[in-house]
Amino acid sequence: MRHYKALQRVGLLALCLCATQVLADARLEARRHFRSGMSLIGKKEYDEGIAELEQAYAIKPHPNVLYNIARAYQDAGRTAEALDAYKRYVTSSPADAASVEATIAALEEKQRASQAAAQPEDNSALPMPPPPASIQSQQQLGALLERLEKAIERAETMPTTGPGTATPSTYVPSALPGLAEAASGDDGAVPYEERVVTASRRAQSSLEAPNATTVITSEDIRLSGATSLPELLRRVPGADVMSLGIGSANVSLRGFNQRIANKVLVLVDGRTEYQDFLGLTLWSTIPIGLDEIERIEVIRGPGSALYGANAMLGVINIITQLPGSGPRARFNVTAGTGNSVAGSFLSHGNTGALRYRTSVAYSQADKWSRDYASNRPDIVLRDPDPDIGMRGARATLSAVYTFADDKQVGLSGGVHRYTTEIYPLGLLRNYFMDGLGAYAKGDVELGPLKLKTFWNHISGSAGPQYEPIGQRSLGTDISSNLFNAELLFARAFYLGGEHQLNVGVEGRLKRVGWDYLGPLREEIHAAAFVQDEWRLAEPLRLVASYRVDRHPLLDAGTPGLAHSPRISALFIPIEGHAFRISAASAFREPTFLESYTRLLVPVQGVNGASALTTGNTALRPERLTAFELGWRGESAELGMDWDVALYQNRVKDLIGLSAFERLPAGESYDAASGNYLIGRSRFVNEDSIYTARGVEAGLTLAPVDGLGIKASAAFQNVTSDLEEKEACGPCSQAPQLKLYGGVTYRTKADLEFGVDVAYTSSTTWIEREPAASDPTRIELLSNPLGAYAVINARVGYAAVKNTVDVALVGSQLGSAHSQHPFGNRIERRVYATLTVTP
Amino acid sequence: MSRTLPSWKQSLGGVLAASLLVAGCESPTVVPTADGRQNIHTARIEGSLVVQSRSRGNAVVFIYDADRPPPPQGTGRPIAFTVVPAEQLFGPALGTDAPGPFTAPFSLSLVAAGRYTLRGFIDVDSCRSGATPCHFSDFNPWYGVTSEPNQGDVGGAAVDPTTGIPLTLEVGVDQEGHPLPLTNVTVSFSQASAQVPVDRPAFQASVIVGGDAVLTAGGPPKVLRLVPQNIEGGAVEQRPKAFLVSYVDANRDGVPDDANRDGFGDLWPRVVVRKLADSPGLLEDNDLDRNGILDANGTDYPHADGTRDGQPDLVVLAAALVPDALYPALTDEAGNPRMTPVPVAELHIGVQAVALDARDPAAPARLEGLPKGRYSVVLIQSTGQTWRVPNELAPAIATGIGLTGVESQAFVLEAP
Repeated sequence: MRHYKALQRVGLLALCLCATQVLADARLEARRHFRSGMSLIGKKEYDEGIAELEQAYAIKPHPNVLYNIARAYQDAGRTAEALDAYKRYVTSSPADAASVEATIAALEEKQRASQAAAQPEDNSALPMPPPPASIQSQQQLGALLERLEKAIERAETMPTTGPGTATPSTYVPSALPGLAEAASGDDGAVPYEERVVTASRRAQSSLEAPNATTVITSEDIRLSGATSLPELLRRVPGADVMSLGIGSANVSLRGFNQRIANKVLVLVDGRTEYQDFLGLTLWSTIPIGLDEIERIEVIRGPGSALYGANAMLGVINIITQLPGSGPRARFNVTAGTGNSVAGSFLSHGNTGALRYRTSVAYSQADKWSRDYASNRPDIVLRDPDPDIGMRGARATLSAVYTFADDKQVGLSGGVHRYTTEIYPLGLLRNYFMDGLGAYAKGDVELGPLKLKTFWNHISGSAGPQYEPIGQRSLGTDISSNLFNAELLFARAFYLGGEHQLNVGVEGRLKRVGWDYLGPLREEIHAAAFVQDEWRLAEPLRLVASYRVDRHPLLDAGTPGLAHSPRISALFIPIEGHAFRISAASAFREPTFLESYTRLLVPVQGVNGASALTTGNTALRPERLTAFELGWRGESAELGMDWDVALYQNRVKDLIGLSAFERLPAGESYDAASGNYLIGRSRFVNEDSIYTARGVEAGLTLAPVDGLGIKASAAFQNVTSDLEEKEACGPCSQAPQLKLYGGVTYRTKADLEFGVDVAYTSSTTWIEREPAASDPTRIELLSNPLGAYAVINARVGYAAVKNTVDVALVGSQLGSAHSQHPFGNRIERRVYATLTVTP
Repeated sequence: MSRTLPSWKQSLGGVLAASLLVAGCESPTVVPTADGRQNIHTARIEGSLVVQSRSRGNAVVFIYDADRPPPPQGTGRPIAFTVVPAEQLFGPALGTDAPGPFTAPFSLSLVAAGRYTLRGFIDVDSCRSGATPCHFSDFNPWYGVTSEPNQGDVGGAAVDPTTGIPLTLEVGVDQEGHPLPLTNVTVSFSQASAQVPVDRPAFQASVIVGGDAVLTAGGPPKVLRLVPQNIEGGAVEQRPKAFLVSYVDANRDGVPDDANRDGFGDLWPRVVVRKLADSPGLLEDNDLDRNGILDANGTDYPHADGTRDGQPDLVVLAAALVPDALYPALTDEAGNPRMTPVPVAELHIGVQAVALDARDPAAPARLEGLPKGRYSVVLIQSTGQTWRVPNELAPAIATGIGLTGVESQAFVLEAP
């Protein structure tokens, strides 16, 4: 019987591994088939070529593939099939639908005439679909025309094109409407080309991006089984992901991670989720579900030249699905260990020119571990539910009304009621946050002009999860409102070559009410930026960007300017290979916490004493000067792309808390709290200059049907000009080596497997703690943290094709570990997920 | 047409279903992090303050290790303290001179298992009542010159509510060795019985025998003359009119104690001449963390017999009051010891160039030679009030911490 079961298991494995028509990385695989098909069609091998295109379309539908199928049939003289393909194409509502319908009509007329006259068709007399009647923007038209010209040139010079070397010039991909920033990354004019919008604030091929860029697609997200955004980011070369609790993670790029990681700008559809007042991203409060995400673009490197403050080490732009582009209804239910429960409903739809997406969801999960037990004689738990790591209920609505091809209005909003954890700085420890988040966003697009506005709101209670009994409690009320408006203009023109010009102006109002800051604080910021991408001469392109930000305190407490230039040169000697060199500066502005805080932190064990932490309105912004060399390449034939980057980041004026200084005797008593102040620690700019040098490499590979491989490695070394290694926090806290490897294997029929491993080398964290012998004295303590590996795995099964999917996910399957000396002990969890798309 | 699922699919479905059913419902385990506090089990002491006083001010409660009591019983320093603001303590009676009693809760957090004593005082703001001269509430725990009660403050302690005798409190442990909280502790303050009679024994010192303030090994002893030092203005207000001199009578039998059995009664105040740390400032040698307990790691000086005890030493110089002029003042007309304190206008202190390791105060060990460095002079009064020179009023230090410098407070004995 045991042998029989073993055989069953082996058979199951063999069945899975030998399944036919399997898929790996869908985009890469589809692209491989598409390239192969177009090459065959170029050699007049229509049947084989069309079969390849059909396969590409089956793997990952793209309307332009249908168009090319139709054209191939048309060239092959198979009018009926061509008509069928054209009709399928038109159902995708392409921008050139009118012209294609004219072609269909003409074809049908010809077909009837042909049948009547029993004469062969004269393809040459048929009206061909004109070039795309309308595209989203002039930039895309320019890109499209350039590709067409290139294709024609290749066709003329290489009449006997080998397999997979060129796209036949006859076949012009159409453009799709809605190629705005929120459009799908795969919906570019060239099918299956990876496209990004974040690097230049316009849609472009990732090859043309002036920064090292990593894209995480919706498919990556689904196959990963990840339950949180930070977990997904472990696959990004150079990303430091540090989970302190299940709802509390800190993410940085290229080092400088910390409790309250504050050097990476996180956006959702261009709306900031970086909380300016605190200087961190509350990942678990982002009111967007993973199933609403179209893709995540990660710009590894400075982004202040386009995004201003806080895009210092990188930009993470979470791009949600275009309204109306997804299922009409999808239900998702997840349950797992650690009291993990989640449920969501997602719906897309459209009514005429109005498209919408709406979602509601609930999720909760216990902490991985608790710092203190209940009912201790010395500690009282303030957390409303000390077991819960994160819990939230949210709803979002996003709608777009399109007046014309390049004129549309978008409105979206969301609300999230949540409980989560935060690990603040300095002497503070694990916090709870019981809050409400809300946002509203309005976008107007009028041709090359875009107006983007949004409002972000946070309110609630935030305070220590636990306090010594008898100790004075801190205030917990917090409220933040942020209003932002941005006007963007994009235009292409010719002047010594083609230029893509982007300019913008931005204004932001921040209002924060928080016990830690004293009275209501308000700041008004303004900025302007310009970027020009100049195609000087093929294959060389120059990208120059400059942004100036006006901050109310930057000039020693008075309004001042921060300048962020960036210059990049792109060299694309052969198709599919881009070499880039760039230099840029970026900055992080002082947060409200760093500028205005006046907080009396109780000295543990000495109830009559507090340590005063104060802000500093004369802080300089943290500054980064970065140099980068990069090579991005792809081989469609091999189903592979890669990205290699070498960088040097020079960081100065880091903002941190000073050592405690004694206060004058007359200022040592705070009557309001009845506490004596042991001293004052204030936010200051450090004198040290840190230099981070590193190399990153990422590879995505779909070598054979069904197998997808992702791998990345990052090595970095951080040094200080003043501090010894032992005393240099940024040096010892940054892991030198990070490795990631992920394998997915899925059958077209019904099964999917995935496993990924992220390795982080050991670090040493330097923390400030009250001395054990004298709690009124603060010591710098080194806390070594061993290397760890995060292992996740997923098995998915399509119980009813395209309707019911189930999956089993193992999270954190490696050995239990902590990712920060004060973080939870992370242990494995298992989730089961049921997805129904009726 | 019915469709039968393959068995492996059924199995997978079963696994998923089972996973859904067995989704864990246990609470997360408790795993302390590297945060030092999370790895220590402590408890708390809490109870009530009971105050009978017409004077008003914040109540400050100190917790001491019972084995290291504060002056005058010992030289211990508080482990921690808490403050109960006057507004909370006296409530609506804050603006009156009602005698009370007044009560308010207090709590000392994160107390480890052990034996403790609680002391405290009302940091009286006598200016509130219009007294002249007067003290504002001037306690400040962070500076030696402001960290003790002054004249008019009201002392207190945790006492037996029936007998009024100070208690030793014990924070016990449970079966797992975890400390148990100590509740319902009463700390009593009584103006009638425990009002501080005088200011701290602030003094200025000068060398009247032996030349300058430099001691050399084998050199002659020095005689220091201490006179009261008035300090006014700024955060420090001290107006000692005289030093209180008395016989030591720890057992309260009415007979002077003679601990060294030299045939003469021991005297208050006591004098300690202690070595300071080599670094600039006021830190004491081998107590760099300022907790009053010798550091685990420090300087081990060679003893006179050539040995070392392997532990950091508490280096003091042989010093004592010159009693010649004091005994007559402490003797009544009948020739009997006068057991009540007597004010004297000045004190003479004899300091020998002999260093001792006073780690064990009961058996100080003579050290070889005279450890180089600076030495401070500490005067401990029978009220428990102390004064040390040099202190934060030394001009070089005072300006940096918002105090008014007083040149005499920079006095220091030196062993080059």
